[in-house]
Amino acid sequence: MAFENEKKTPSRQDGLSGDGSVQKTGSMAGNEGASANGAAAENGKPEYSLNDDRRVKTLSPSALVIKRFIRNRVAVTGLVILILMFAFSYIGGLISPYRQDQVFYRTELQNQDFAGVTENTDFRYVVKEGASFGSVEQAQFVLATIQKKDAFEFRGTSYRLDKLSDVLYGIYSGGELIAFASCDVVSSSVQGVKLPFELQYLILSSLAEGGGSFTYEGGDYTVDEDGGVLLGKEEVAYASRYIVQPIMSDVHLTRQFKEELIESIQNGEDSFSFTEADGSVSVYTVVFNAAMKNWNVRQETETRVFDTYSAPSKEHWLGTDKNGMDMLTRLMYGGRVSLYIGFIVVIIETTLGVLLGGVSGYFGGWVDMLIMRIVDIFYCIPSMPIIIILGAAMDMMRVDPQVRMIYLMLILGFLGWPGISRLVRGQILTLREQEFMMATEACGISVPKRIFRHLLPNVMPQLIVTMTMSLGSVILTEATLSFLGLGVKFPFASWGNIINDVNNTFVLTNYWFIWIPAGLCLLSTVLAFNLVGDGLRDAFDPKMKR
Amino acid sequence: MAKSENVKSCEPASVDPQYILMVKNLKKYFPIKGGMMGRVVGQVKAVDGVTFNVRRGTTMGLVGESGCGKTTTGRTILRLSGEKTDGQVLFNGKEVYDASPAEMRKLRTRMQIIFQDPFSSLSPRLPVGEIIGEAVKEHKLVSREEYEAYLDKVMDDCGLQPFHKDRYPHEFSGGQRQRICIARALALNPEFVVCDEPVSALDVSIQAQIINLLKKLQEERKLTYLFISHDLSVVEHISDTVGVMYLGSLVEYGEKKDIFRNPLHPYTKALFSAIPIPDPHARMNRIVLEGTIPSPANPPAGCKFHTRCAHCMQRCKTETPKQVEVEKGHFVVCHLYDGK
Repeated sequence: MAFENEKKTPSRQDGLSGDGSVQKTGSMAGNEGASANGAAAENGKPEYSLNDDRRVKTLSPSALVIKRFIRNRVAVTGLVILILMFAFSYIGGLISPYRQDQVFYRTELQNQDFAGVTENTDFRYVVKEGASFGSVEQAQFVLATIQKKDAFEFRGTSYRLDKLSDVLYGIYSGGELIAFASCDVVSSSVQGVKLPFELQYLILSSLAEGGGSFTYEGGDYTVDEDGGVLLGKEEVAYASRYIVQPIMSDVHLTRQFKEELIESIQNGEDSFSFTEADGSVSVYTVVFNAAMKNWNVRQETETRVFDTYSAPSKEHWLGTDKNGMDMLTRLMYGGRVSLYIGFIVVIIETTLGVLLGGVSGYFGGWVDMLIMRIVDIFYCIPSMPIIIILGAAMDMMRVDPQVRMIYLMLILGFLGWPGISRLVRGQILTLREQEFMMATEACGISVPKRIFRHLLPNVMPQLIVTMTMSLGSVILTEATLSFLGLGVKFPFASWGNIINDVNNTFVLTNYWFIWIPAGLCLLSTVLAFNLVGDGLRDAFDPKMKR
Repeated sequence: MAKSENVKSCEPASVDPQYILMVKNLKKYFPIKGGMMGRVVGQVKAVDGVTFNVRRGTTMGLVGESGCGKTTTGRTILRLSGEKTDGQVLFNGKEVYDASPAEMRKLRTRMQIIFQDPFSSLSPRLPVGEIIGEAVKEHKLVSREEYEAYLDKVMDDCGLQPFHKDRYPHEFSGGQRQRICIARALALNPEFVVCDEPVSALDVSIQAQIINLLKKLQEERKLTYLFISHDLSVVEHISDTVGVMYLGSLVEYGEKKDIFRNPLHPYTKALFSAIPIPDPHARMNRIVLEGTIPSPANPPAGCKFHTRCAHCMQRCKTETPKQVEVEKGHFVVCHLYDGK
């Protein structure tokens, strides 16, 4: 046997060295071919060469992935939808002439209660300061007037009545005027100023005589028969049987207005027009309320109201929402918020997941054990109830909407990382045993470089796919929370809280433009993310496809 | 005595400078974990007491069937599979496993490995230039100005063109990939390279190219190889000394021509009888081994080969044979030759 071996040896060696020489001549021939081709090119002849150095185009793995991705029509459709959505949200918000929280108004003609008019048929009592004339005395007084007495006595005090007219009695006690009873009421021209007791009495007594003039505290007063009181030339007060009071406290009714109003009431008219000092004409309707024995004066006014649920128009292409804000602009800003939250959450998730999963997978041992148990625990946490409870807590603490958005991102991010960390760990466990990782160890490459240059780039495909997919689901979760009122809060828009406006069937059935566009945006974005994710997965790993 | 200088006794009294690598009674066991708490319930004895020396500038071939621990031996020598279980690995007279992390990093440039599978041993997301040059940059072997020229030189030595630098591994054939692996190992200018079945994944014509390349590089750079293979003809072509492994142990070890001319161990004989003869008329006296290789987790007592040996004696089943020097520098572990 040993002999045989020796016999075989030379022949095999020949064979091997023979192969080697063939290889050498082969490569030489190749070089010659290349130079010959070069010569051919110089001669201006077309060259057909498959030589390595002629192949200029080199595709990196990522370029190959992009190439395969572009061939996938469904995924490219998804990508186009995404690009449109981004343009719509980010560029649209800049183009839109409105702000996201800009409220629009419309004017409406409304019959508003303007004033009330009461005819005073009962006596009103004005009592001098310091004196008392209570309701029992007033009843005694009414009794005396009915019995046409000019005096009455009550509890040892005698009162003398001085009848100036049917509607004005002066009441004296101990020779002093302590009160008077009148159906007419004196009101000052200047708002809020109360006229002195004596002056009121003097005005009313002048009026009872059909007008006249008197002097009070050095002022010359003139009372005309209509009840106007002039101090010199200036009107200071007004006496009338009708009490006209404005509904709105900040409105001051002029004497002229009151006089014209009372005249029209006395004429039994049910509408009344008044020309203001500036020439504008307002029309009032007068309604007699028999139960209250008063007149309601109503004014037709133009009122600014929130332009809620207005149908799509030239100004508002998708109408307005329940707060009178432009729907299209809200949609754009809502898209911004939704995409923004989606990205931030996925970045938080991925950072945590890659870090913990990477450490777990690379180092193994008890670190792996510990981190994976934490992951198990996170998997057990029912995330929806937690988010709902935290949302409710934030409601109670009145967290600022902007801060709340940050909290929302953090919560979603911290609840979402375990899936990614498991994926990364699994990938790294398999990659770690690959020979190229051992080669890096054999070459003495430092650990961070091993992880970031060799391991992570190989985890990237799966990571990118998962990130894309979870972007869709995060946007959906955010929309759900916002719909429930626990996510993004007014005044910030998000697609979820736009749909939240549809909280009754009336809005659902009558105002389609409130919820259909937002729903479509949400649907198409999530769908596009999933399509792109699928496309990326197929592009990264062509074997995965079907 | 000329020969005994080449292959010294398995337990040299002192460190001999002519040996770049001395492996003494190297053991590498992998724990089998089981039960509730991950207790160690057993051990896979992948390398179970291997002793050999490699002379500077020569090639030692390591052969054996699949699963006998050749690859683990190679990796354990390079400290690539965690800590060893027992024994010594002396590289240039220094224990590899005693090196501090910083020393180990330096040592990495002096001992390299070429892997079996050229497809999984190249990082798929890096261009070839990066793969080859990364460690050069990491260890700052050449200045930044010289880097490109150095890289081109190494690639040229390994039969690669400079424009290959920007390409990615997936654009290369198996043979070219193996050249890239060789270039990566040689870029660090090592003294010692473990070739872990570098040609077994390639077809025969490419195998010849790679083997010749390795031989050429050895001459140019005075490299020392530990050439692991299950292909005896390749080992015969490239090696100066040959070790035959069975179930984690070296059963026979010596100069190539001694081993091939006069295989002693029954396992070596069976192995060598399987070498095909390129002559359709020649009759082959194949020794067919019965049974399969036992589990390294539970190796047989006594001689590990006794379950499949045609010459099995009673004491083979109980008594572990010792290494015997039958000729000068030709060691065998078998009761047939221990003179009793």
